[in-house]
Amino acid sequence: MEILKSIQEVVWFILLISLGVGALEGYFYYHFQYYDRKWFFPAALAVMPALALAVFGQLLGGYTFQLWVYFLLAEAAIAAAFRYLVQGRHTVPYLLLAPAFVGLALLLVYPFVFEIYLSFHDLKLTTIMMWKNTGRLPFVGIDQYIKVFTTSPLSEVSFWALLGRTLLWTFTNVFFHVAGGFALALLLNNNIRWKGVYRTLLVIPWAMPQVVAVLAMRGEFHSQNGFVNIVLTKLTEAMPFLTQLGIGPVQWLSDYPLVTCTLINIWLGIPFMMVVILGGLQSISSSYYDAADIDGASYLQKLRFITVPLIRPVMMPAVTLGTVWTFNNINVIYLVTGQSGGTEQADILVSALYKAAFTYNRYSYSAAFAIVVFALLFFISVTYLHGFDAAKEDR
Amino acid sequence: MASVEFKGIVKKFNDNTVLNGVDVDIKDHEFVVIVGPSGCGKTTLLRMLAGLEDVTGGDILIDGLRVNELHPSKRQIAMVFQDYALYPHMTVEQNMSFALRLRKTDKAEIDARVEEAATILQLKSFLARMPKQLSGGQRQRVAIGRAIVRKPKVFLFDEPLSNLDAKLREEMRVEIAKLYQRLNATIIYVTHDQVEAMTLAGRIVIMNKGIVQQVGSPIEVYRKPANLFVAGFIGSPTMNFMHGKLSLEGDKVMFTSPDIKLSIPPYLLPANKVRDGQEVAVGVRPDDVVVGREAGEKCSDKIEGVLEVCELLGHRENLYIKVGGQRLLATVEAFFDRSPGSGVQLCFNYKNMHVFDKATENRISE
Repeated sequence: MEILKSIQEVVWFILLISLGVGALEGYFYYHFQYYDRKWFFPAALAVMPALALAVFGQLLGGYTFQLWVYFLLAEAAIAAAFRYLVQGRHTVPYLLLAPAFVGLALLLVYPFVFEIYLSFHDLKLTTIMMWKNTGRLPFVGIDQYIKVFTTSPLSEVSFWALLGRTLLWTFTNVFFHVAGGFALALLLNNNIRWKGVYRTLLVIPWAMPQVVAVLAMRGEFHSQNGFVNIVLTKLTEAMPFLTQLGIGPVQWLSDYPLVTCTLINIWLGIPFMMVVILGGLQSISSSYYDAADIDGASYLQKLRFITVPLIRPVMMPAVTLGTVWTFNNINVIYLVTGQSGGTEQADILVSALYKAAFTYNRYSYSAAFAIVVFALLFFISVTYLHGFDAAKEDR
Repeated sequence: MASVEFKGIVKKFNDNTVLNGVDVDIKDHEFVVIVGPSGCGKTTLLRMLAGLEDVTGGDILIDGLRVNELHPSKRQIAMVFQDYALYPHMTVEQNMSFALRLRKTDKAEIDARVEEAATILQLKSFLARMPKQLSGGQRQRVAIGRAIVRKPKVFLFDEPLSNLDAKLREEMRVEIAKLYQRLNATIIYVTHDQVEAMTLAGRIVIMNKGIVQQVGSPIEVYRKPANLFVAGFIGSPTMNFMHGKLSLEGDKVMFTSPDIKLSIPPYLLPANKVRDGQEVAVGVRPDDVVVGREAGEKCSDKIEGVLEVCELLGHRENLYIKVGGQRLLATVEAFFDRSPGSGVQLCFNYKNMHVFDKATENRISE
């Protein structure tokens, strides 16, 4: 009867969500539809804060007078906005948008605001009980931000070393993603047999759940039973001179953890770039190549003067996305090195951030750290997008 | 400048035969238009000459030199594409000089040639612009300019005007005619528009289903179409066709269809060329259908018909006339003062009548 219980739980959950959405729609419907009635303000102020108090007071664990005042003020502001700004315009579009909008606000805006709040206070293992009991945290100003740049988020590596490592990691990965994706896309863009089969095979790493893919690849880098070392052993047996060149099986996971992570992540990231670039290649009209043939361009010249400039507009957003994903990639590093007794040698900013928060329990410090990482990424993305606009101008 | 020869050209895409034995000689300094309906293989023929398609069979010669396996850039040809194929990320000047830059031509020489081409085509003020900042006609001129700067032996035009609107097309047609007078080059021009073919060509090559139907000057193919296809394709509005049988009455040749009976004059078709009962199609251009009082005065074989529809074109008027089950189109001077539904008399201008054998589809009249 376990299954029946699960089904019951799911049904309750769905009902709850529908009720929530229904309440939300009702709330907005009232504000959109009756904004110009005489009783709009009194009714809203009498009913809405009380209802909110009943629901949220339960969730937050107390019906204080203070809370009621907050709700009253919030409702007054919302009702005024609806009366004097919105005035019932665009009712249907906004009613349809409301659930998604509120969902996004709860899932993105609220955590972000809370994170900023945390980063200016001091929440850590020693203050967490105080917070739980009194709901207050010591205000520390920008202390946490100073600590981000001066102390190590882990036990030894500094922020600056991590930043350098992250930039190197991001650059290496994105470079090989683009290079590999471009090469494969060029191959697939020819008229070859079994094209569909190759394309499917090449997209598999991308389609697989990352956890499965990464753990499988981690196994292949095992020092004794992994595919990579077995191949290296056989190679050195067959061609002994390779040993003199320094090639041979190595302890991938313990001696070269970052290299291992990079190799695995490159393998994971190529398919996405390949698909994007292939799409770009197929959108280039063949008459450009005809014209270039008549103009006397060689294969490499066609690549340089026609293919690359013409896929740039497709590439820029893909590279931006790829950069953000790689910069933020905690999956690969955590899954390869992060288990108990893991090394710090492969940590990049976000994986160090994860450890600072959930291994060392420095919550406020991590919040400040996260905001610094966010600012970095924001800056990188904006720079890229400017480049993208410039590329679009060219076309 | 150079001559071009196609010798028994065959082109197959897998099992699909696109060109089946094309033989055409194009002389030095000649403006040849290859015309035909879409899918007739005319663009394929041009692309094979450019080196963009492999040759399945036969030989292509430029200036007497066999070029079947020669790389496009070595054939000394220049091509203007239907969609212009201007490199979108290069300025007009870079587009025009691209081929020369690839060949590492001297900078001063490149500038001089681009300048010259830009002057001819009135593009000088657009040299720094991107293709997307130009209108359709300007892009077309840039595409032509790109061809001119290379000083090729042969210019190839692949339906260059089909992406332009009607008014611009007329203007560009005149531009191309002027350009030909100025460059005095060998030009091969592919189009499906018979008006372009008639107005531009020194010689027309008419193709259908991968076979050359007729080669000749515009007036030749108009006055003496070699077969039913050419007769129907060239000329606007389309020629009227009547299908029926020939019969010999003494030394007179008579044509009989279910609706029309007329005698064919001997200077058009002598009796000794005709079998009794031969199935034929008789073609008359709308301009050679004489209608109304004129027909009553001039002609001996009068045909009675009923006026269906009048289309006024300005100084001319199209009359659709029903003769039994046969509809005939006559183009006459405006205004033809009769209302639809009224009976009219008509006859044909015998001198310009065409008789085609029904089985072979070839012309049998003089």
